[in-house]
Parts: sequence; structure tokens; C-alpha cells
Amino acid sequence: MSVPSIAGISGTVPLAPSAPTTPATGTGTATASGAAFADVLGGIDQLQQLQSTADGLAVQAVTGQLDDVHDYTIAATQASLAVELTAAIRNKAVDAFNEIMRMPA
Amino acid sequence: MTTFGAIGIAATGLTVHRRWLDAISDNVSNANTARSTAEDAFQARYIVAREMEGGGVQVAGALLSGDTEGRVVYEPDNPLADEDGNVRYPEIDMASQLTQLIMAQRGYQANAAVVDRAKEAYQAALAIGQR
Repeated sequence: MSVPSIAGISGTVPLAPSAPTTPATGTGTATASGAAFADVLGGIDQLQQLQSTADGLAVQAVTGQLDDVHDYTIAATQASLAVELTAAIRNKAVDAFNEIMRMPA
Repeated sequence: MTTFGAIGIAATGLTVHRRWLDAISDNVSNANTARSTAEDAFQARYIVAREMEGGGVQVAGALLSGDTEGRVVYEPDNPLADEDGNVRYPEIDMASQLTQLIMAQRGYQANAAVVDRAKEAYQAALAIGQR
């Protein structure tokens, strides 16, 4: 069920600047929040890049080619933070999904 | 990763202070480097730091400063001595170099502390809503 007054307000405030022209105000919020969530999922590719950077620096540190010791430790810290962020996103998404599935039919 | 921007900025500070430490140790270790009077004396090297766009700092270059004349010392036994028996020793101010050493060390530790605190802050944000 859609409340026309509330749907009208949310349709005129897009969440993402690149949201396409919405055919109806009810589906406007769905596409806007969908684009923002897709950007967050793209951060998982950055996680992979951070991990590979940290691994490369670890190899350099072990073979004695690393000039700055802090480069490796900071890269490892950023990778672990990104992993925690990804885990938190997954937990929240799963909780929201379960909450919606628990709704009575 | 701009999401953890404070950590990346502190990393640039760590790099600059590490290079400052390298320059100071180079100056101190060459304090007794004798050269013949035909060349310039060893000069102390200073790191020029400049701020970066979007936060952080980088090394813009290195400058040699100090007297090119150095201290002319009479050492006829030195193999580098000229016909008057003189060699050049560098004019390195040990007090200034060791003071800079303390500043470089404390700057390095301060930047490392920023990395630690920023990491704890981001972990606190990730812990919001966790059961």
C-alpha cells in the first residue's frame, strides 16, 4: 500500500545525483537507494585491491626491499579495516532481509 | 582509500619524517669526513617538506646548506693533505643536528599515534549496532 502524500515527498528528494527519471514517485526511492547500495558493493573490489597491496608489501618487507616499514603495517591495517567494514555491511543486509521475511504474509 | 583518509595522510607524514631521520643520520655520520682543499667541504643536507593537495605532506627536495669552506685543519699526515698540509673538515653543528633528531623522532611517533587512534575511531564506527 502506498500513502500518496509521503510518496510525493520522497520522490522529489533523490538520494543519488545520477538517479534516472522516475516514472512514478513510488519507485523513485527504490532506484535511488539501489544506486547508492551498488556503490557500496563496489567497495568490495577495493577490498581485494587493498589485500593484494598489503601482500605485495609484505613480500617486499621480508626480502629486505622495503624502504618504509610503516607502509606495510598501514596497508595491513587498512585491509583489516576494510574487511571489518565488509563484514558489517553483510551482517546489516542479512539482518534487514530476515526482518522483512519475518513479516506476516 | 579515502574512506580511511586519516590513516593515509598520517602515512605520508611518517614517510617524510623517516627521510628527515635519514638525512640527519647522514649528516652526523659524515661529521668527520675529510676532503682535500681542492674540493668543497661536506655540507649538511636538509629536507624540504611541502604540503600535498588533499591533505598530507611530501618531500619537495633536499637542500645542501652550510659553509663550503668548512674548517681548514692542519694535518700533514693525512693522505688527502695538500702541499700546506691542510684538509677540509665539514662544519656540522652537532647540537642542531641532535635537536633535529629529537624533533624527527617525536614527529614520527606523533604520526604513528595518529594512525593508531584513527584505526580505533573507525573500529568504533564499525561497532555501531553490533550485538
